[in-house]
Amino acid sequence: MTSLTRVAVVGGARIPFCRSNTAYAQLSNLDMLSDTLQRLVDKYDLGGRKVDEVLAGAVTKHSKDWNLAREAVLSTSLSPLTPATTLQMACGTSLQGALLAAGRIASGQIDCAIAAGTDTTSDIPLVLRERLKKRLLQMNRAKGLKGRLGAFRGLRLRELAPQAPANAEPRTGLSMGEHCERMAREWSISRQEQDQLALESHHNAASAYDEGFFDEQVIPFHDVSRDNNIRPDSSLEKLATLKPAFDQETGTLTAGNSTPLTDGSAAVLLVSEAYAEKHDLPVQAWLTAGRSSAVDHVHDEGLLMAPTVAVAELLQRQSLALQDFDFYEIHEAFAAQTLCTLKAWENEAYCRDRLGLDGALGAIDRDRMNVKGGSLAFGHPFAATGARVMGNLGELLERKGKGRGLLSVCTAGGMGVAAILERD
Amino acid sequence: MARAAIPDCRHWQVTRDNDNILWLYLDRQGESVNALGREVLEEFDALITLAERDTPLGLAILSGKSGGFIYGADVREFDGFDDADSVKAEISRVHDMFDRLEALPCPTVAAIRGYCLGGGLELALACDYRIAQDTPDTKFGFPETQLGIYPGFGGSARSIARVGGLKAMELMLTARNINARAALGIGLVDEVINRHGALNWAARRAILKSRHSRPPRLTARMTSQWPLRPLLARQMRKQTASRVRPEHYPAPFSLIENWRRIGANRKRLQQVEIDTVSRLMVTPAADGLRRVFRLMERLKAEGRKSDFSARRVHVVGAGVMGGDIAAWCVLKGMEVSLQDQSQEQIGRALKNAEKLLRRKLRDPQRVKSAMARLRPDVEGTRVAFADVVIEAIVENAQAKQELFRRMEPKLQRHTVLATNTSAIPLETLAEALEKPTRLVGLHFFNPVAKMPLVEVVGGQHSSPDMMKKAASFCSQIDRFPLPVRSSPGFLVNRVLAPYMMKALQIMQEGTPAEAIDRAAELFGMPMGPVELADTVGLDVCLMVTEVLGDEQTKDSEEARFIRSHVDQGRLGKKSGSGLYHWKDGKPVKEPRHTVGHDFRILAERLVHAYTEECRAALEEGIVGDEELLDAGMVFGTGFAPFRGGPMYYLAHQHEQFEVESPAFVQSNDHQTASTGSTS
Repeated sequence: MTSLTRVAVVGGARIPFCRSNTAYAQLSNLDMLSDTLQRLVDKYDLGGRKVDEVLAGAVTKHSKDWNLAREAVLSTSLSPLTPATTLQMACGTSLQGALLAAGRIASGQIDCAIAAGTDTTSDIPLVLRERLKKRLLQMNRAKGLKGRLGAFRGLRLRELAPQAPANAEPRTGLSMGEHCERMAREWSISRQEQDQLALESHHNAASAYDEGFFDEQVIPFHDVSRDNNIRPDSSLEKLATLKPAFDQETGTLTAGNSTPLTDGSAAVLLVSEAYAEKHDLPVQAWLTAGRSSAVDHVHDEGLLMAPTVAVAELLQRQSLALQDFDFYEIHEAFAAQTLCTLKAWENEAYCRDRLGLDGALGAIDRDRMNVKGGSLAFGHPFAATGARVMGNLGELLERKGKGRGLLSVCTAGGMGVAAILERD
Repeated sequence: MARAAIPDCRHWQVTRDNDNILWLYLDRQGESVNALGREVLEEFDALITLAERDTPLGLAILSGKSGGFIYGADVREFDGFDDADSVKAEISRVHDMFDRLEALPCPTVAAIRGYCLGGGLELALACDYRIAQDTPDTKFGFPETQLGIYPGFGGSARSIARVGGLKAMELMLTARNINARAALGIGLVDEVINRHGALNWAARRAILKSRHSRPPRLTARMTSQWPLRPLLARQMRKQTASRVRPEHYPAPFSLIENWRRIGANRKRLQQVEIDTVSRLMVTPAADGLRRVFRLMERLKAEGRKSDFSARRVHVVGAGVMGGDIAAWCVLKGMEVSLQDQSQEQIGRALKNAEKLLRRKLRDPQRVKSAMARLRPDVEGTRVAFADVVIEAIVENAQAKQELFRRMEPKLQRHTVLATNTSAIPLETLAEALEKPTRLVGLHFFNPVAKMPLVEVVGGQHSSPDMMKKAASFCSQIDRFPLPVRSSPGFLVNRVLAPYMMKALQIMQEGTPAEAIDRAAELFGMPMGPVELADTVGLDVCLMVTEVLGDEQTKDSEEARFIRSHVDQGRLGKKSGSGLYHWKDGKPVKEPRHTVGHDFRILAERLVHAYTEECRAALEEGIVGDEELLDAGMVFGTGFAPFRGGPMYYLAHQHEQFEVESPAFVQSNDHQTASTGSTS
């Protein structure tokens, strides 16, 4: 295989995102993923057709969803001959899925693929505590009544309570917010800067909805027609009244400048250039490059700083400057995390010492960043965010007609994924 | 084992798998949904014979269509019969068929997704085991009483045996649809699988394990036994009588009476069912109701003439009509912006909308999500994004023209511009527009949430394309579109006006309102004309007469009569007094005022005024044809549905029920009890 084929982003579809335990409280990941895929199928008339590969996943999921992506495919009108892979890379899941699919399309192994993600923190898996689980298994193995009873010797009442999935980083025991609070302190990000970014995110998202920008991407679902986290009437004054959420005394992160727990799902369709032509599919943009990277958060690098690395490496390989883009879609897990990333790129020492560059990557034109809103406004159903961002950037480039866009997502475990979309 | 050949079927896809299970998928050819037409049943007969001879391991019945299981018997085929005996022969054959299905020695399973109504449900009930898939479109119900009959393919007998008397009678009498979970709750189905499951595998499992329905719970069974049964029957009769009259709608009363007499004796119930339903089938009431069913289909078809799909609606004017229209659109999934100069007015409209949504959606989360789709828009900025714009401001031509002039440049090319006026000619309003072709009327009736009809008004300029788009918008919000030509009063108000005027005239001759209203109700109107005038509001009536306005009407005694009421502030229901005195939202009627009046003559005079105006409207081409006219009057004013509409009534008057002398009517109780065995 010598020549590569171009990978087209045909477009994305998603359901409106909703804060946890609100409108989608009764739905499962399988429900949301199936219905989102179906919307993409309807949008591009894929009913009855076989897609070469569906890559999808969820971060918070039940063990019974071990074949989530395939089961979701079977609940759509896609041909049942469509294979599907369930994958996980924390908040980078669907973006990583898109990059994996793109690689196989580029190399000619497949012609079309769907990358998708879903998450719900309303329908979380409650599991038995480790201690109780061991007792039950021991009972199962034991022979005779005595052995069986013996498994429960010393049983304490509190062992019986089910356990919710931990929200903390496994190796550090700190929550995302606590990690981000440390980053904010390290990079001296003020509360006001964070609130300002959150405010812009909400306002941009609200006016994008108002002007119909999301009409093709966001399809009404269960009575909801737009993300219910967006607050068009937010103001700096209101944001300033919120108490710090993670560090009561000196913290700067609040519920207003952090993403809430969110339910939702998003999908994006990728095809080869030839496939798009053959099936008369629109090409929003070409997916030209992608990369995932990681930081050593265990040894106290900023947990959510990995996009700085992924983007730097990506730019180097593509011989592009950070300023060579018309749009930047930077995932906002926390306003502080996005601001740390921007500051790091502007910091000569960081770029030289950590990223191994000759000098600072420099500043980006903030008027080109998250112009139609970001995760602070939409909310962040972990695995869905990557597909949302890619669909969004595709739409932006299509409407502009020509240009280049950069997107990045930070993930738990100190990882980051970045990609470049271009339209000519 | 030698196996019989599978008979050739056009409508059933039949396979036998290697477990020796016989799979029957109904996929009625030439139709988008399944109904039990004659050919379908004939083939089914042959398939039962196959199963009898072939002794398969089990038999599974499913739908081969993506859109539902079976919607019922084919209503159209009922029209061919005019004597009870030939209906009886036909029905008996189906009973025989379903009895044989039930008697098959192998396990039989119906696996259901989507609508399972009437005859479809009766077929399913004859199986040993029913599995339903829990999707939003899976619904069970018996709509038969709405067609002037009751379930006649063994459904009354089997449902009573299956779920007990009370629940079965409730289903049949209310004609309400229930979802899969509710059906499981009462035992109508035996198993529910979730939306991600596979029906065929669930059916196979049931067959391999030879599953059967469990008998209904003791408490359910007891409702069919003495002493509960006669008590319940009396209660049912009372409730039914509060909604409809037995002389108009004999079917539910016959059903209750048969159950009261027979109880849970299935064989006997089935026999009586055959006799009663065949008789009911050929009554004029059933004939009229079948026509209304067709009329409904016709109006639905009007809404399918365009693939226009609206998402955003902009309503100008947050008064009662504007506010209610906005709220209804929100309920039906639209994103709505509501414009009004007065923030206060909008606030009131929002509150009313929330009330409606709470009542209809119940779940607070859904109410919240729906309310997020309704946005106040004092500046009117959202007009530029709307697919449909509805004007509902004061009835003032200049104000409306001015508004249209300001809005027109902002509209998108595809946007439907509609006015809810009932008084101003569309042509006058269109003068203000650069592109008058886009203006149509969307005439909603008050209260919007209760009135299923919308008149889609075409002026001289309105383009056919816009008319179709407007009609399809109506369908999208679950209202029936009736295309009418722009002329004073359009269709509905124009016909109602002379009818109400006639009532007032009779009143002035000295007949009390109670007698007039009683006569109209006996004829089959949902509400008498005097009460109707009070309910609509005398001020509105006066305005309508002025719009309809030939000089003669304007100056008539009747018009002066209303005007004097309006001048004294007696507007009807809303002011607490009008032609009646109103208390707690109900008119105070004096029973003795109905004594000694000839309802038959009164009804004749009233209905004559009504139908004469219908004829005139038809002649002038206000609506396209008789069907549309009848549809408009039945769904717009509730004209006695069992009479099939005013024009149908004129043509079939001699066959239909006549309003009788007062002596008959006064002994209401006696007569209710006696209809059970007659009809």
